[in-house]
Amino acid sequence: MNIDNYSNVCEEKIYSHIFATNSKTIFNYIYYKFGNEEKAYDAVQEAFVKLWENCAKVIPSKAKSYVYTIANNLYLNMIKAEKVRLKYAHLSPDISNETPEFLLEEKQFHKKLENALAALPENQRTTFLLNRIDKKKYTEIAELEGVSVKAIEKRMHLALKTLREQIDGI
Amino acid sequence: MQDNYLAKWLNNELSEEEIIQFKKTDEYASYQKIISASNKLKAPNFDKDKVLKAIENEKYKSITPKVIKLNPYTKLIRVAVAVALICGLAYFYTNSLDETISTDYAQNDEVVLPDASEIILNAESKIAYNKNKWDKTREVSLEGEAFFKVAKGKKFTVSTSQGTVTVLGTQFNVETRKNFFEVTCYEGLVSVTYENRKTKIPAGSSLMVINGKITPISQIKTSSPSWIQNESSFNSIPLEFVLNEFQRQFNIIVNTKNIDTKQLFTGTFNNENLELALKSISIPSQINYTLKKNKVLFYAKK
Repeated sequence: MNIDNYSNVCEEKIYSHIFATNSKTIFNYIYYKFGNEEKAYDAVQEAFVKLWENCAKVIPSKAKSYVYTIANNLYLNMIKAEKVRLKYAHLSPDISNETPEFLLEEKQFHKKLENALAALPENQRTTFLLNRIDKKKYTEIAELEGVSVKAIEKRMHLALKTLREQIDGI
Repeated sequence: MQDNYLAKWLNNELSEEEIIQFKKTDEYASYQKIISASNKLKAPNFDKDKVLKAIENEKYKSITPKVIKLNPYTKLIRVAVAVALICGLAYFYTNSLDETISTDYAQNDEVVLPDASEIILNAESKIAYNKNKWDKTREVSLEGEAFFKVAKGKKFTVSTSQGTVTVLGTQFNVETRKNFFEVTCYEGLVSVTYENRKTKIPAGSSLMVINGKITPISQIKTSSPSWIQNESSFNSIPLEFVLNEFQRQFNIIVNTKNIDTKQLFTGTFNNENLELALKSISIPSQINYTLKKNKVLFYAKK
């Protein structure tokens, strides 16, 4: 769908398209930042209500950064991040051939990883998880965060380095 | 190894050699384990429909027009308020205006002020005072001639174009005509300010200014001005002022021919009987007159 054929986002089709492609990322982004689902929902809602209210002034190509900016600004001064709790994608029975020891070890490792992630600085965690879970490219994350790709690479590098150090107990 | 090589590694941007080199490091296994574990991580479920619903609600709210209830009486009330306001303002305006009483030729009038002071206006005179401020300042402006019986109280001021008369409570007469200013006090004490000079006039005397010249205080014998009894009396007054007064009292046009209007006149004329008054003026002054309708001509005896 070529959204750039429209001059604004008041058209229902355009608006839904922008919502469908960006709402999940915004939700995750806020969640990785603060570890609070409720706030993440509010951020998405707020951002898209604002987009609707100002739909006549926003051109489709700018709509994405518009909603990101609003979601971002909403909790600019939010106090402290809660612990980010993430689920494991597979605890499915298809790997039942694994030994109980292995499963236990894996569970322990997951625990360690979760703690290490929670201990990361907010911007490193957000970048790392957007890349790993949401499969966002560095350029996309840079756009979202409003920084350079180089800065995102740096965060990514530091995040992985810190995680390893934490988990290996250095 | 280049900067941020971990990020490059994840992005498959490392060269062959770099990868070989990286794989040799002790940390490689740990890194791989972290990455494979993190690839299995999941964010919490995001309920798109829930958010969409909430947004739809907000959208509906934002497009619902504001309802302004029309009150059929609003307009009427507005008009009523405007009318009341105008009436109120008009009331205050007229109240703040001065009360004015004036007399014409051959007319006398009596005015009772709010504090029971009395003013008797002689012909062609005008007074003005403010009824509402009377409690605070007893002030009357005067043009012409008037006799004042002032009730005792605060300072009573008569302001004229020529001078100001202030008293506390007395009876006095003020006459202010063209080039003629006279204050006569019949009771109490009157203070007259003329050209910034204050003169106190005791009961039974008068101050006179003719053509800007102050004549010394002179005694009078009557207890009220003669004009109150419908007589105009003069004591060494230039004839022109006598004739002016005559003109005012009878509403008659006075002309003169070949006579000296500066000559002094002492005497009285009646304000009601024209024939008598004409004789009262002409005989002592030794002049003649002819009367035609409402015109009188005084001329010298040959």
